[in-house]
Amino acid sequence: MVNLRNSTESYGIIAQAFHWLVALLVLAQLGIGLYAANLPVSLARLRWLSHHKSLGLAILALVLLRLGWRALNRPPGLPGSMPRWERRAALATHRLFYLLLILAPFAGWLYASAAGLSVNWFGLFQVPDLVSKDRQLAELFKALHIGLVALLASLVALHVGAALRHALLLRDSVMRRMLPWKPRSND
Amino acid sequence: MPRLLLVLLVSAALPAAADECYSVDPAGGSVSFELRQAGSPFRGAFHRFGGELCIAQSRVARIDVWLEPASVETALPEIDAALKAKEFFDVASHPRIAFASESVQVRDDRQLARGTLDIKGKRRNAEVPFRLRESGGKPLVSGSFTLDRLDYGIGTGEWSDTRWLGAEVKIDFSAALSRR
Repeated sequence: MVNLRNSTESYGIIAQAFHWLVALLVLAQLGIGLYAANLPVSLARLRWLSHHKSLGLAILALVLLRLGWRALNRPPGLPGSMPRWERRAALATHRLFYLLLILAPFAGWLYASAAGLSVNWFGLFQVPDLVSKDRQLAELFKALHIGLVALLASLVALHVGAALRHALLLRDSVMRRMLPWKPRSND
Repeated sequence: MPRLLLVLLVSAALPAAADECYSVDPAGGSVSFELRQAGSPFRGAFHRFGGELCIAQSRVARIDVWLEPASVETALPEIDAALKAKEFFDVASHPRIAFASESVQVRDDRQLARGTLDIKGKRRNAEVPFRLRESGGKPLVSGSFTLDRLDYGIGTGEWSDTRWLGAEVKIDFSAALSRR
């Protein structure tokens, strides 16, 4: 039985597809960004950063769509066994996640614009610049982009750690809600 | 042809000696370039340039201009450094880019300088259309033309891949002229 929409016990497959697609793209994006940022000015750097920029805008668009879907679909509740502070921490982490998933690509877009390196989205169309070329602004947005990405990467680590804790140590339903297949329940 | 008249007026307003030469005034002028990187336009500018333009019998007779590629500026310092290196302008071996006219033709409201463009020791025939008009009491020269960077070895090795770095480079220039 496959649910498109979220139920009270589990995320629907649309919310799950958004989650796993964004997760996959964000991991690829972190890898490409880290790799390319450490290359000297070269054709490889130009090529990888060009893919990085297109991918970043794709993630931004997906996250906005995902937020829209989430607004129409209440996420399933957390198990009653979780202490109050943990529920609060989970809520805060997820809000910060969405915020960073929007701000980090946005800062990258600002950086590309200020650096005069406009984006042509996967060679399909020209993406407008957010600001005009400016050397000081480029430095500022670069630092902002790196800072936000570092924060996002830390949050990914926290999120994965917490999910594994729920799945392996607490053995509750929290991680199962986001899995497209349902492992045998211990409840 | 009012613009042509203006050109003639500009030159006629100056004392009618046989050869009147003007120097290119870099202050307030600009030489910028644009090419495509990863499908998007990329721009930069050169800050040190100069030269002279001579008028004989109310017509532009000769143009000799130069620029220093070491004065290149884009929005990123690491790109400026790469442009000065061997694969692009090789400024250590070739500190100057020069254009010298061989003939100048008047075409409607424009003029066309034909001559030799020398970049990185590669001399190629080039046609540079330009206009002369008066601005703030001074003659102002401006124009734009395109060149193929690969003709001059700008971007060798992996950079000759024109899918990621376009071959066509558009140059825009404008500068006031001062009487010598």
